[in-house]
Amino acid sequence: MTTPNRPRISLLGTTAILFEAPGTFDLPHQRRIWALAATASKWPGIREAIPGITNLMLTFETPPHAVDSLVSALIDGWDDAQEFAIEGREIELPVIYGGEIGSSLQTVADHSGLSVDDVVSIHAAPRYTVFALGSHPGYCYLGGMDPRIAIPRRQTPLQRADGGSVSIGGSQTGVSASPGPSGWHAIGHTTWTFFDPSWPTPAALAPGDTIRFKVGRVIR
Amino acid sequence: MPIDTTDIERLAQILERSGVASIEIEEEALSLRLVMEAGEPTAPSPAYAVQIRPSNEGPIVAKADVAGIFIAAHPWRAKPFVEPGQAIEAGAIVGLVKIGLLYVPVLSPAAGIVDAIVAEAGATVGYGTPIVNVRTAA
Amino acid sequence: MIEILSVLGPASIQDLGRFGQYRFGVGTSGAMDDIALRAGNMLLANDENAAGIEIPMTPFKVRFACDTAFALTGADVGADIGGRAILPWWRSRARAGDVLSLKAMIRGARSYLTVYGGIDVPVVLGSRSTQLRGELGGLHGRSLQPGDILPCASLEAPSCFDELGAEPADVALARPTAPAGDSVVRAVIAGEYDKYGGAAQDLFWRAEWKVTPQSNRYGYRLQGPAVMPISPIEKRSHGIVPGVIQIPPNGQPIIQMRDAQTSGGYPKIATVIEADLWRIAQTGLGGKLRFENTSYADALAAQSEVSAYLDRLRANVRRFGEFRKCR
Repeated sequence: MTTPNRPRISLLGTTAILFEAPGTFDLPHQRRIWALAATASKWPGIREAIPGITNLMLTFETPPHAVDSLVSALIDGWDDAQEFAIEGREIELPVIYGGEIGSSLQTVADHSGLSVDDVVSIHAAPRYTVFALGSHPGYCYLGGMDPRIAIPRRQTPLQRADGGSVSIGGSQTGVSASPGPSGWHAIGHTTWTFFDPSWPTPAALAPGDTIRFKVGRVIR
Repeated sequence: MPIDTTDIERLAQILERSGVASIEIEEEALSLRLVMEAGEPTAPSPAYAVQIRPSNEGPIVAKADVAGIFIAAHPWRAKPFVEPGQAIEAGAIVGLVKIGLLYVPVLSPAAGIVDAIVAEAGATVGYGTPIVNVRTAA
Repeated sequence: MIEILSVLGPASIQDLGRFGQYRFGVGTSGAMDDIALRAGNMLLANDENAAGIEIPMTPFKVRFACDTAFALTGADVGADIGGRAILPWWRSRARAGDVLSLKAMIRGARSYLTVYGGIDVPVVLGSRSTQLRGELGGLHGRSLQPGDILPCASLEAPSCFDELGAEPADVALARPTAPAGDSVVRAVIAGEYDKYGGAAQDLFWRAEWKVTPQSNRYGYRLQGPAVMPISPIEKRSHGIVPGVIQIPPNGQPIIQMRDAQTSGGYPKIATVIEADLWRIAQTGLGGKLRFENTSYADALAAQSEVSAYLDRLRANVRRFGEFRKCR
């Protein structure tokens, strides 16, 4: 997949606008997205500025009549965005790889041409940064996965993947906070709680936090 | 208070004096129609034709109680609310009056058999416009 | 209070939605047919955001524990209360002990039961809407079951609240339908539209899409011709909203609905306009949909049309209430 060298901006109906940054999927780019999000969230008519993986969605409180000025503001905002280095917390997450929930571990191994043990150690090696929250309550998109274990999303998304599943989709990895539909490949699971609406901030993690997966067990 | 013949005579005299040609009175149990007939001006008492119909044998009229457009069937239903010959209960919806985006039901004041839908679908109706005539089971 | 006597399928408590929580991965939830919910609340002089019950399947039965007023909007469900038939898009009264029965989905796919004062469940993250995935909101974050008792906000509806109907949205906002009565929904092209060649784009707009049984509040999975891109697309995860039409590699579109994920990475061909989301909600399993290519400007115009209908209904109810010297 070629990365464009200019931002891509597109509408999501009359509900939101999507800004996709050019460049690689890495922390410096993501930090600039965080900076743009902080700026854009204050613009009139914008309900929320929600970072994705090197992209930003702005949901509208009221849809603008003319989109052009918003598009310009995004482009200018991106040009001006300096890396916003968030000082987050460091979390260790115990994971049981494979087994019933991590049922795609072998699929990933086959696709990458590596052994199951190699896939596990490659997956558990990095300190991952929480790039964004999304998908479902408390779910974290993590940056820093080794491209050797990347695998395209499912042909047909699963109607139900388990809560706590650790999975890979494309070159990204993440942990589900609850059961639900998924297009990713589950390679393990964790029992940690990522979300509770009664907490002052309902999500346990935030962009800028970091995670290290601790291999509890590997079930073949 | 029931109308008796003394009242009718008095009413006829009032009509004659005031030059009104006819009067119709409807009470709960009685319907009275008094029509002055042309007669000699020198006649000692006016000639009149009286039609007294006890109402509980005659038509009940379901009337609109708001102004709007009469609708005979709900837009989502194939059939009109009522058809002639249909037995209905007191309070049954016999039609709707559309005011803007609202549908105000027209209710039958009594149980009976539908005699006729007298209002035209799509017509503008007002307070008191007869919508459906209902024959009570006698 | 309302007691659920019988329920089939995932009936849930919904208000107009939970907003401003996307950054925690929490989507809007809320009534799939937001117009119907608003209309029901308007007829009852409720706050338009008062929580009601979304009923996607019949039969459905509730018992009222007290005298109150209620409204049924959305689908035509052949309802009756204590043997007395209730018209669609209608306000009526219930007496304590009355059983309201929704018998069959005659027309449409989702019915909304609103009650005077609204259903009084706790507000979670700013809304009473149920989110099944996060198990939050509504009644204990789940769909309704027989035996559930729902608290209502107020006990006494004004005695002057009598039978009253509203013109259904699909009458007031009627649009030309496609052949065979398929629902036509308008969509604005999305980011990956040009990654599909002309033939694939044509296929998307011209096809009659069937709503498969795997369709629900998360998304409507459609069946039809395979719509394939010029070359396989793998996107980085990005925010999505209800209405976004994703096409996974199998070429079968999925319309993301109110309980959809808040972000995803499948390519998006178009987004159904907000003003037409209710039309999807009222298309049942096995129903047919077609998409109509619409500009952003026309989508805004459609939104204005919906607002105008709601404004007019709101004003009519208020004026009628004044005319009847009733709240």
